[in-house]
Amino acid sequence: MNTTLVFQQLINGLSLGMVYAIFALGYTLVFSILGIINFAHSAVFTIGAYFTYALMGLSWGFNGLLAQQELPFGLPFVFALLGGGVLSGLLAVALERLAFKPLRARNADPLLTLVSSLGLAVALVNIIQFLVGAEAYSYPSQQVLAGLPPSINLGTTTAPLIIPTVRVVIIIASLVILAVLVALINGSKIGRAMRAVAEDGTTANLLGINTDRIILFTFFLSGFIGGVAGTLVGLSVTITGPYFGISFGLKGLAVIVLGGLGNIPGAVVGGLVIGVAETLAPSSLKDAVAFVILFLILLARPQGLLGRKFIQKV
Amino acid sequence: MNDLLRIDKLTRTFGGLVAVNNVSFSVQDGEIFGLIGPNGAGKTTLFNLITGLTPVTSGQQYYQQRETTRLKPHQIAGLGIARTFQNIRLFGNLSALDNVMVAQHLHTHAGIVAGIIGTPGVRQEEKRVRERAMTLLERVNLADRWDQKARNFAYGDQRRLEIARALALQPKLLLLDEPGAGMNPNEKAALSGFIRQIRADFNLTIVLIEHNVPMVMGLCDRIAVLNFGQLIAMGEPAQVQRDPAVIEAYLGD
Amino acid sequence: MQSFVDTYGFLIVTMTLQAMLALSLYLPLMAGQLSLATPGFFALGGFVSAVMSTQVFPEVPAGELFPLPYVFLEMGIAAVLCAIVAVIVGFPALRLRGIYLALATIAFVEVVRVVALNLPITGQAVGIFGIPQPFEDNFEYITISLPMLLIAMFFVYRLERSRVGRAFAALREDELAAAAMGIAPTRYKVLAFVMGAVLAGIVGALNAHLLNTWNTRQGTFDAAILTLAFVIIGGSRTFLGPVMGGLLLTALPEVLRAVAGIDGLPPIVAQFLTEGRLIIYGLLIAFGTLFFPQGLISPDIFRRRKKPELETAVTKAEAVS
Repeated sequence: MNTTLVFQQLINGLSLGMVYAIFALGYTLVFSILGIINFAHSAVFTIGAYFTYALMGLSWGFNGLLAQQELPFGLPFVFALLGGGVLSGLLAVALERLAFKPLRARNADPLLTLVSSLGLAVALVNIIQFLVGAEAYSYPSQQVLAGLPPSINLGTTTAPLIIPTVRVVIIIASLVILAVLVALINGSKIGRAMRAVAEDGTTANLLGINTDRIILFTFFLSGFIGGVAGTLVGLSVTITGPYFGISFGLKGLAVIVLGGLGNIPGAVVGGLVIGVAETLAPSSLKDAVAFVILFLILLARPQGLLGRKFIQKV
Repeated sequence: MNDLLRIDKLTRTFGGLVAVNNVSFSVQDGEIFGLIGPNGAGKTTLFNLITGLTPVTSGQQYYQQRETTRLKPHQIAGLGIARTFQNIRLFGNLSALDNVMVAQHLHTHAGIVAGIIGTPGVRQEEKRVRERAMTLLERVNLADRWDQKARNFAYGDQRRLEIARALALQPKLLLLDEPGAGMNPNEKAALSGFIRQIRADFNLTIVLIEHNVPMVMGLCDRIAVLNFGQLIAMGEPAQVQRDPAVIEAYLGD
Repeated sequence: MQSFVDTYGFLIVTMTLQAMLALSLYLPLMAGQLSLATPGFFALGGFVSAVMSTQVFPEVPAGELFPLPYVFLEMGIAAVLCAIVAVIVGFPALRLRGIYLALATIAFVEVVRVVALNLPITGQAVGIFGIPQPFEDNFEYITISLPMLLIAMFFVYRLERSRVGRAFAALREDELAAAAMGIAPTRYKVLAFVMGAVLAGIVGALNAHLLNTWNTRQGTFDAAILTLAFVIIGGSRTFLGPVMGGLLLTALPEVLRAVAGIDGLPPIVAQFLTEGRLIIYGLLIAFGTLFFPQGLISPDIFRRRKKPELETAVTKAEAVS
């Protein structure tokens, strides 16, 4: 047993799983307060990666409306990451105002909202393609690491356990986000308000909580996390084209169903399970893993690992 | 034994809540049986148990001496039990006629291919189904609006339409869940008369959930009273009316 | 005339095929099921005819056309295969409702895609090439695809007015109430699902010949979104809606391209019109659900005018005999 290989695989699985987890949290946040699955999250995720790329002052390729253009400044990676997250959050808020709020006003079925969000996702992703083309972009690693070594040896010189620094960055960034999110939801005033709205929107309103503002904040938060997750994925593999978010988005659905819709720890558990499973699967079948799991879980236990059964009122 | 319907220690719990608690009674063939009790007493849940919409936690139920405890709703409908709903569940976007036609599903046989081609047998069947539906609509005074969407009907008319639809199933047992809700006293009196009439004309046994106590007292042969999911009294109207447990249950209502 | 056919023949045939795909999504929808599984069956059907015409049937000598009866045989086999898969997948999946069902069908399509990507018989990533042609030029496919479309339309039109169609409509309106009126939900939902699957499979089988090649890029999640747009925009409550949606929206890019060619249009707008097809579709879906919840074509077109008769003694007697 090659321990280095196993170890590297585990680290890979962990880093992928953590990114799935925080991506899925974006879905989960919105689902828990509004009961809808917002597939446009996958587009926000994609755009986040592109925002960060732009904020780093990098230039676009040969296709698309913005070919060869670049911002007149370039931020260090961490700031670009945060900036990209903020812009993504704002985009998510815009989508909520333009599409989801009117649907809510018409008392639309969650399925209809899902369909609408599918349309938004496809439109947004193709707008990206229209603007910057479908080519691959990657973050230059020296700029990202800014002085850190390209890989870290966690073992000894005789029994080395080498992992690329980028992986460590991803894992740490994901953990930080998760920690901040949990602290926010459990320990802060706005987090309490969010939980109240998630529990019962009408009562929360009656108690004086501005549900509209909470909804906006939740969308911003989910967009921010999505944008950051998108950048992290772009960091780990390169941005393969605007559609990379769609397939990630579909797998994200598997994550939240596995963990239980609306369940935050569930999103983390689901993300890790699917991340590790995908990493360990033979490369030709990797893409199917999440969907096979999704299909099986829907048949065996639709409420997911940590979810509660929904009772329908007659 | 003339029991058309018999429920035996029927219980339904979910979460920590006991919605129906160890309820037993039987309904005789041909009677109009009333089910009353304060809000939340478990009456509609009991209907849902009988019709298979809600799973039974423990206990049994029998229809025509045959156990129906684990049957699915469409199977129970097939045995001849039809119902209306407290919150009216018509097929809103379908016309009144279609609503009543669709309930004849079990009494018709047209398969897909025959239906597509339109064989003489199918056309004959469709004609019969349509006419039967119109007759039922006529019965509830809705025939002139046969092609209007069910959701466009006034509340009271929707209730009548639901009854027509239930009758189209050609049931032996009809469960009516608050058929008089939202009606004024005149309409309620007409409804009582109507219920007695359909029992006679269609040879039905009827179980009725109703909040309006005078209406129930005047209409039903026997009454069961539920409170907090438990059966607290049962018998003829005059008897039940005087029962101290019943009076106490309703004092807080 | 000839040059019109040369330029637009392929498009016209594709329009009819896409209209049928829209119908294949409409069929489960009639029973209230939003299934995005159409592309999966479309892909399956295409692979059936691709594999059979390149590997099973005898090779066609150069210069000759692929025999039409073989095409029909392939479509038949595609239909049977899709029906079987639909039953196997459908029975467990259709116990799910709403969002969960939609997700299960999305998962199904992805699994089909990955499996096809890995099987040698389906050509893996490259796909299958050199699928023989039963016709000399693309437009001649219309001799099959148009009758197919008309038959499918007739089928669904009659279905909507039949006993089974009423059962579907009741399920769509209120599944619980429908069950309480004696309609077995799972059985009828699976029936609708199978019908949609068979139609998608047959269309796929023909499409493979039209395109000459077939691979996993036919029949993807994106395709499901397109088909969904046809139904949502065209109208989701009557069979004409998906057909119109399919025909018009498939032609739309060409119309836009023509508009883009108008002199004096700013280049950005022209570029958008030509390349932005998916943006437009996506926005149509996103906001179509808001502004056109029923789509363009509503069922009121078919309002019955004549009041039916009441039951007579004769018909009553017939009922008991």
